[in-house]
Amino acid sequence: MSATASQAKPSAREATRHPAGIRKGERLAGWLFVLPVILILGVFLFIPVLMALWVSFSDWSGRGSPLAPGVGFIGLENYADITTGGGLAESNFGTSLRNNAWYVILVVPLQTALSLLLAVLVSRQILRGRGFFRTAFYFPSVTSSVAITVLWLFLFSTTGVVNQIIAWFGATGPNWFNEPRGLVHLALEGVGVTTPPPALTAGGFLGITWWDWIAGPSVAMFALILMAIFTTSGTFMLLFMAAIQSIDPSLAEAAMVDGANAWQRFWRVTLPQLRPALFTVLTLGLIGCWQVFDQIYTGTQGAPGNTTLTPAYLSYQAGFQDQKWGDGAAIAFILFLIIIAFTLLQRWVLRDKPVSRRRMRAYLPGRVTPGEAPTGAATQGEAAPAASAESKKGAAS
Amino acid sequence: MKQHMRAWLGTGVVVASAGLVLAGCSGTGGGGTSPSPTAGELTASSDPLTVMIGSSGDAETKAVTDAVAAWSSSSGTKATVVAATNLQQQLSQGFAAGSPPDLFYLGSDAIAGYAGNGSLKAYGDMLSNQSDFYPSLVQNFTFDGTFYCAPKDFSTLQLVINTELWSAAGLTDADVPTSWDDLASVAKKLTSGTTKGLVFNGEYARLGVFMAQAGGVLLTPDGKAEANSDANVEALTYVQDHLKDGSFAYAADVGAGWGGEAFGKQLGAMTIEGNWITGAMTADYPTIKYEVVELPKGPAGAGTLQFTNCWGMAADSPNQQAALDLVEYLTTSKQQLAFSKAFGPMPSVQSAAGEWKTENPALVAFLAGADYAQGVPTQAGASDVIAAFNTQLETLKTSDPKTILDKVQSNLEALK
Amino acid sequence: MSEQTLPAALPPIPAAAPTPTRTGRAGRRPPRARVVIAAIALYAALIAIALVYIYPFLVQVATSFKTDADATAAPVSLIPNPWSFAAYDKLFANSDFPLWFLNSAIVTVCVTLGRVFFVSLAGYALARLHFRGRATVFAVVVGVMAVPGVVLLIPKFLVLNQLGLYNTYIGMILPLLVDAAGVFIMKNFFESIPVSVEEQARIDGAGTFRIFWSVVLPMARPALITIVILSFQGSWNELAHFIVSASNPALTTLTKGVASLAAGALGSGNQYPLKLAAALIMTIPVAVMFFIFQRRIMNASEGAVKE
Repeated sequence: MSATASQAKPSAREATRHPAGIRKGERLAGWLFVLPVILILGVFLFIPVLMALWVSFSDWSGRGSPLAPGVGFIGLENYADITTGGGLAESNFGTSLRNNAWYVILVVPLQTALSLLLAVLVSRQILRGRGFFRTAFYFPSVTSSVAITVLWLFLFSTTGVVNQIIAWFGATGPNWFNEPRGLVHLALEGVGVTTPPPALTAGGFLGITWWDWIAGPSVAMFALILMAIFTTSGTFMLLFMAAIQSIDPSLAEAAMVDGANAWQRFWRVTLPQLRPALFTVLTLGLIGCWQVFDQIYTGTQGAPGNTTLTPAYLSYQAGFQDQKWGDGAAIAFILFLIIIAFTLLQRWVLRDKPVSRRRMRAYLPGRVTPGEAPTGAATQGEAAPAASAESKKGAAS
Repeated sequence: MKQHMRAWLGTGVVVASAGLVLAGCSGTGGGGTSPSPTAGELTASSDPLTVMIGSSGDAETKAVTDAVAAWSSSSGTKATVVAATNLQQQLSQGFAAGSPPDLFYLGSDAIAGYAGNGSLKAYGDMLSNQSDFYPSLVQNFTFDGTFYCAPKDFSTLQLVINTELWSAAGLTDADVPTSWDDLASVAKKLTSGTTKGLVFNGEYARLGVFMAQAGGVLLTPDGKAEANSDANVEALTYVQDHLKDGSFAYAADVGAGWGGEAFGKQLGAMTIEGNWITGAMTADYPTIKYEVVELPKGPAGAGTLQFTNCWGMAADSPNQQAALDLVEYLTTSKQQLAFSKAFGPMPSVQSAAGEWKTENPALVAFLAGADYAQGVPTQAGASDVIAAFNTQLETLKTSDPKTILDKVQSNLEALK
Repeated sequence: MSEQTLPAALPPIPAAAPTPTRTGRAGRRPPRARVVIAAIALYAALIAIALVYIYPFLVQVATSFKTDADATAAPVSLIPNPWSFAAYDKLFANSDFPLWFLNSAIVTVCVTLGRVFFVSLAGYALARLHFRGRATVFAVVVGVMAVPGVVLLIPKFLVLNQLGLYNTYIGMILPLLVDAAGVFIMKNFFESIPVSVEEQARIDGAGTFRIFWSVVLPMARPALITIVILSFQGSWNELAHFIVSASNPALTTLTKGVASLAAGALGSGNQYPLKLAAALIMTIPVAVMFFIFQRRIMNASEGAVKE
């Protein structure tokens, strides 16, 4: 009977399956089922990207349709305007890139480190009330960025909570969201460098002098950086916790037997095994950080002094407020390329590299000292993964 | 392989046809082929009107809504008032969508952009009360030689003084400053504790008064950039000196959102603000007693800034005839005086000046400013330059005025 | 953009982590005192950090009941002095806040229902139905997940415009109806269901849709709940899409409304209690959903590393 035949030999069924075969309706059903998804993704994702590409190459002025006959093709003029135009368009774009670059430089490592730390702490065996801590750290990630920005504006106002707490320690807090000076500049001032060296103010890139490029994030931007870390560390903490829980404990045991202390165990055994999770966290972090928009729209709108201007917000501003739709679309696409470049770069940096020859020498036959022999030979199965884990980490460091 | 190719082909066909459909939609329905009336004609239909305003608060929204409703019932054309949360954005979206509001607030700094891309209907010459408007306001809304829209009101900046702190510092009416030196010494006397002598927003829209008083302009009437003139440098240096010695301060630096808030919280004994200060004081700081006096004269005489908005009319509006009628109604002397009473700004028609002075004797200084006030530059792209200028002004205390003004100059020159 | 859902795999993971046993080694157990000190240090650190995470929300609740002056004068205190309901009064009686709430609710409910339906359909098709180009479609879906949202701000507005959907509820709902990550989740889940169940139903004569609707879908409850939670969160907290899809004040959602409050609408002055009250109420539905389903949410997020 066909029933028993089908249940007895599913693999045979697989092999003989082809569209015109037994399940005629299946092909149609398949396409029908995915049709809504394809349509919506196509219309609201794929086509908009094409349309934006067209707008970025056109001189559409903002009235009527960009596909109307009167709109002309101007090639790379919009892109040239924002990268080499020499005017405000270029310096605004440069400023936004600088701001966002500093944001990424600070947020990604800090949020990765903090979420890893939290994950490690909350995963400790001796901890009770793990659920409470997980909830507490994850809750900010659930709230809307608009709500958190409103809260942050209150906390960091000139006479707000943060400054009051700082006052308890005897210092005066800065005028957070109104302070446009960069952290690096402030630090340099602290060590006595108050005027920029002429070499750095002579030249520049994208309309900003080199001195301004290294200004660091402004104090206002720093408040936003703290907010980003606050809201995303919970999500990444969960990612790391899952990864930590899936680590084979016998490796850590083997390392303990070999005499590694807790720090060495973490750095050389645990961390390399967290590589996939680390990779995910870094990728998501990078992609997210280059798209900061909601917080700027709600909170600072680029102020003070354009130091919280980001490319995503600049793209919106150029289009929706200044009616320079071509420039706005061009900025968005350049940002897209930047994100892709960073993701690829990060993928390349974290790739599995072959073991370096120096490291390899310790494990090649003929180099084993008598004291190490038992570890190498007796626990062959465990030592091999431990060795490769360590060598990978060693090669990567 | 064949399977994949057919799948790609299929997806591509779907996408391409969708794209063609979109292009087709735009061709027939969109702005490309809609009939635009020739310069002298206005469209007319029975479509209801939408009026979009950038309201300063409940008082203004209510006043405008009531006025429009009154016109609506007497003229028979329906009209709705929409208070925008983000006027610039909503206007841009409206124009791009082909469905802008019929009438809307339009600032003198925004007219260049919208006039330049054909979004506005130039109805200025069709106004029956055209000659009644102040000439400087008409100038602000003339683009490319065409008078585009009717100024709806205007404000000037003058000096607002907290009378209690004034007398507490031992000052009298004779001490009202008439020169820069007077202002500096008075501000010094008024500075004590957490109160600074003079507090104002750290932006061109306030510091510009000093530049005007020194005889400087950003752009000459024929469009030449003179941002880094000696007069402007002198003005900024004057402000910088007193920011440094603590008698002047920016509102943001004393923890206030704007000069009026600093004034209301007595973080500043004096401030430089416009007509809107009256509404804010009555609503938020009713206990503060204040008076408005004319700003002191600078090295080149009296100077201040004036701000004005007009009633912009969309070129795509289907019922411009009714819109024109509404504008004429809203700019009558009687209606403008009612608005003034409700939320503060001064009428843009000269015929209302006398009555306004009698109704508002304490605010006469604002109207006096109309004689010597400068408008903000209206050239296309100038508002961006001013925005950049403002960001540099935020750090005026620690930077060099000449460098700042040189940058503004180069930005302005790049506008051509 | 920060609300983008993580791709999450399904089966929940046990909460406790296995550890190396202390006794199974060459007798080197750390001294008792050291263990106690380590435990105290751990708790101290965690409690301190947890305080930093919780305190802002406590301040938010407290400040929403303060007067403007009190909020400025004593921001750190958690006790309002005096208690004032002025902020809530203004929000509910004197502003469009209830309208914003209603709009957000309408959009969120429609998006959630729609998403569950379409995403599970597509996930099932990609997992179980064989049709030409299936692999390509899946690759496209995965690829789409990589497009950063910022590129879509301006063009989505233009497309909605062209289609005549600008300033309509449909324009606000339709683009959010499909979520690539959701398709991914459902596909993964359906693949883990044994084929025999479907085989049986097919033998009994059921059509493809019938099998999907009556047999497989009820078994997908855990995954569906995850999709419901993620869509609810995503659409309730969405901002950029609502900015570009509508400008009519009657269509304002909570996110846009609260953002406009933050930028200074509804009068002058700082108005912190008002703004914080609005932000608080906006957070409540998502928080409630979070606390009810927290185990599932956190397990779903943890599973993302398995991709």
